[in-house]
Order: sequence, then structure tokens, then C-alpha cells
Amino acid sequence: MSDMTTMNCNVDELIAVLMSREIEDFETVACGTISMLPASAILLAEATHAPNIDIIIRGSEAYGQDIGRDMHFIAQRGKMDMFFLSAVQFDSGGNFNLHVLGDPDSPDRRFPGGYGSGMLAYTAKKVMFFRSEHSTRVFVPKADFVSGALKTGNEVSRPNQTFFCFTPKAILRWDTARERWALRSYHPGESPETVQESTGFPLLIPADVVETPPPTEEELQTLRTTVKELMIESDTYANWATTAFLPA
Amino acid sequence: MGVPYVPVRGLAGTDILARRTDMLIAHNPFNADEKDVVARAINPDVAICHAIKADKSGNSIFRRGGDELLVSQASDKVIVTAEEIVGEVTAADPDGQFISSLNVTAVVHAPHGAHPAGVPGKYEMDRGHINEYIEAARSAEGFRAYLEKYVYDKTEADYQSLVGIPAQEVAVVA
Repeated sequence: MSDMTTMNCNVDELIAVLMSREIEDFETVACGTISMLPASAILLAEATHAPNIDIIIRGSEAYGQDIGRDMHFIAQRGKMDMFFLSAVQFDSGGNFNLHVLGDPDSPDRRFPGGYGSGMLAYTAKKVMFFRSEHSTRVFVPKADFVSGALKTGNEVSRPNQTFFCFTPKAILRWDTARERWALRSYHPGESPETVQESTGFPLLIPADVVETPPPTEEELQTLRTTVKELMIESDTYANWATTAFLPA
Repeated sequence: MGVPYVPVRGLAGTDILARRTDMLIAHNPFNADEKDVVARAINPDVAICHAIKADKSGNSIFRRGGDELLVSQASDKVIVTAEEIVGEVTAADPDGQFISSLNVTAVVHAPHGAHPAGVPGKYEMDRGHINEYIEAARSAEGFRAYLEKYVYDKTEADYQSLVGIPAQEVAVVA
């Protein structure tokens, strides 16, 4: 576990802040129906450096935009700048699993699956994966089921995309040319070695890999005040927002 | 709808595509350099959709944002069950999504017919009953017991009585 004492924040706050930094002003950013961390990252970006973003939060009436099928077609025609996804497994080949653990015909565990991921992971310009556990059961050599693939070669037409994965230990980046997950930065209290130990396949580790700049006081304060209040007032995962953040 | 297939960007390299026979990768007929996933159309023989209200011709109003229009346009026969039968329903109705009688084969008056789901402006989803179903559906025995309790040899009136809908509102087929 990264050194949360040094960073003065909890894991949810850390991941929300780091994801918010990737959002650029005027982008169209969206997340699904059970997406508390993405929702807080989006609202934090809007409250700080990206006041003009278009926001779609499917789990929120206030930010859901009531667009129904529009979301599908916005993405299909290449207008979705960013989408957020979690998964139960990520593998060395760039596949992720949202469906089952074990034999798909007789699974040990079932998960909700994901129509949206099978489409949005192929069409959003930036795909932000996140997972609040960084371990060898999450980052595996081969996923039990492929819900989405980052690597499709020239099998189908696909836009140029950027893929990140945010965890409590690091930010990973999918290296499209080398078709491998690479370490983009490791969080304070971690090292390339400790991140690699918790990852069930070899990561590309660039010689110039850096430590993740920790959340600033301003980012954390905004998250704990403006964003928290906004989530509660707009009934955007209000129950979650009530308890997720540390006291301001 | 009624189209033979639909292209979709996505799904390549997944086990979803690998395990289904109704989706495959095909060349874009208008651009030889492009390949996409195509999904064979689903064209149901019969669709049954629950309306907020309908007239006797089948003109009906559905919740907004639902898939009823798409399903009606894709199906051979369409049966509309309706909370309420009214004099005339037109496309100008502000209460929801309009579906023309041109798509509709038959209309059935079915108050509370959406249970355990809800109908906008009429009644909420019955979460207790949905949770009961979710629990029951965890096992084959539980699911069978659910069907014995609510479905097998039960009329709509029996069902509505079992789930606590007041008797005077029990469905009458018009």
C-alpha cells in the first residue's frame, strides 16, 4: 500500500484526484451507472482546471443528461473524449474482464458484464481504467474472460486511443506500439519494484519512470468541500459522497 | 428496424464475439480498407410491451427513453398491454414516447401489468418483490419455487392478489 500518511488522503481520494488531472477543458467525459470515483474525478476537474467540459454521469439524474441511446452514437462517431471503466481482471495482453471468474461455462463468480465496455473501450479517445486493488489476482497473465481488448491489430477499424490504469500503487499506461502495460508513475511510498511485485505479469518500466506527484492541498480541499457538497446536493452518489472523503 | 444487420464499433477480440454466432467481423462494403463488427438483426415474432395508455386502435404512449419503439419496429407482431385505455392517443401527447397503431397487432387492458416494474406517473417499482425474485433465482430450486408460488396455474388476478395489489384494481381484459 502506498504511503497514505505522507499523502494525507485515502485511496478513493488519491485515485479521484489523479484521474481528474487527465481531463482537459472542453472535453466530453462520461462514466457509467455505478461510478463513484469517476464521478468525483469529473466534478473535481470541472471545479478546478476544466470548467467547460461536457459531463455525462449515467448514475446521476442531474448529470445523466437523459440521453439514452445518444451515448452510444456519440461514442460511435468518435466524439467521446474520455470514458471510465473498472474490471475484475486486467491481463498482460491488454484484455480486461468484467464478466466471470473461472470457467465461463461454469463460473465461480459472476459479475455484471458490460455492453458499454465492449463498445466504449473501442471508441473513447482516452479510456481511464481504475481499480482500488493492485494485486496479482487483479493483474493476471491471462484473463478468465475477455470483455474488452486493447489490442486488436488491424482486425477492425479503430481510432488512436490512450489507455491508463489507476490503482492504489501506480498509474499504468498501455504501450500500443509494444503491446504491453508500462509503468507510468509509482505513488509515494512505492517503487517500480513494489509495483512489479504486485503485478502478475512483467511491466515495461521506462528508465525515466517518475514518482506520482501526490494530490495537492488545493485538490484535496476542493474534493472534500465543493465536490462533496455538489454530489450530495445533486444526488450523485450522495450516500457514498457523505462518507468517502476525509474531513476537510 | 427490420434491417438485416447493424455494424458496431467495438467487441473485436472479445470472448463475447467469440462465443456468439450472430456477430462477426466484415468488410465495410463502401470502404474496402475498413472492417467492423456486424450484428445480425434480432427480429422477434412477437413483442409484448406495456404502455402508460393506449387507444383501441393501438396508438400508445410509453415511458421515455425505453426500447419499446425499437422493439416494436423490429417485431412481426406487437401486443400492447396498457395501464389505461383512453379515447384517442396521438403523436402530440406530451406524456411519453408515442407508438403508432401501424406497428400494433393487439391491445390488452392490463392495469398494474408492469408489476414488479413500475409505470411513470402511476406506480413505483416493487423493490421488495424484485429482491425476492433475485434471491429465488440464485438456485434452480428457488426459481422453481418462485414459479410455483406466483406463476404456475395462476391467473393475473391470482398474481396481483398474491403481491398485494387491491382487488378492485385487478386487470380486466378489454
